[in-house]
Amino acid sequence: MKIFTRIIHWGLLASIVVYVISGFGITQARIVEPMTFGLLGKNLAFKIHDYVFFPFVILLILHLYITFRKKRIR
Amino acid sequence: MTSKTITNTIIIVYFVALTVGVGYFIKSEYNKALGRRFLDVVEVRQYEGQNLSSVNDFRENSIKGPQFVDRQSYRLKISGLAQNPQQFSYDDVISKHESFKKIVTLNCVEGWSVTILWEGIKLKDIINEARPSPDAKVVIFHAADGYTTSFPIEYFVDNDILLAYKMNDAVLPPERGFPFQLVAESKWGYKWIKWVTEIEFSDNQNYQGYWEKRGYSDTGDLNEPFLK
Repeated sequence: MKIFTRIIHWGLLASIVVYVISGFGITQARIVEPMTFGLLGKNLAFKIHDYVFFPFVILLILHLYITFRKKRIR
Repeated sequence: MTSKTITNTIIIVYFVALTVGVGYFIKSEYNKALGRRFLDVVEVRQYEGQNLSSVNDFRENSIKGPQFVDRQSYRLKISGLAQNPQQFSYDDVISKHESFKKIVTLNCVEGWSVTILWEGIKLKDIINEARPSPDAKVVIFHAADGYTTSFPIEYFVDNDILLAYKMNDAVLPPERGFPFQLVAESKWGYKWIKWVTEIEFSDNQNYQGYWEKRGYSDTGDLNEPFLK
């Protein structure tokens, strides 16, 4: 259970970072593309942003559930 | 790593993400405010009962930033597989062709849209004057910043597509594509090329423009996904 909880928390953290960076990749493509040496182009940013959305929501719900449940047990 | 460290790290990351988000919001609002001051154009916001978006409602997402084209030295080049290739000055484009007005909505792939009253000349008229050869299947547009995009020639023959020089009854500001912007109806925003300098007739049906080369749809049709 502890490992599962950790995966959820760290997974959420990773998904937030990816979601934010890919969002910038879309709206600030002129800056982000050269900053990432052309690795994060606008079309790739769109794809990543789309793919990350559902995992992000699921991880967020699980994260909130685990956190509140833990508080209630205490 | 203890659970306390993990919790603290998560809290820190939350705050960093929140700060970045708030910072970005403030920056975009500040830019918007600057834009409002900068794009001080007298525009209409309603036309024949229909509400229009503002010239300032666009987001600046061009590949090299706004281009400031000199009106006096500007030439619109009509080139490629045409029997009558030409070069027009800015005034020639407008004075030698009939103007039309149309309300058309631009839908950007980023999720925003603007409904604008466009005024310009019909591409059909330019094509008829240029008399493209029967081999010419594609029209390639070139812009002052090096941006390009292409369309099948039938798109302009079958539809009344405008090459706009005014939006909401105001001359296009440099930030919105002065001297000319293509009003590519029923296409995603990346097909609406700004700062048009050259219209080329080509037989290369596999030609790909700036974003098309980078994975965007060649047709750019609004009813299809923009990513290939």
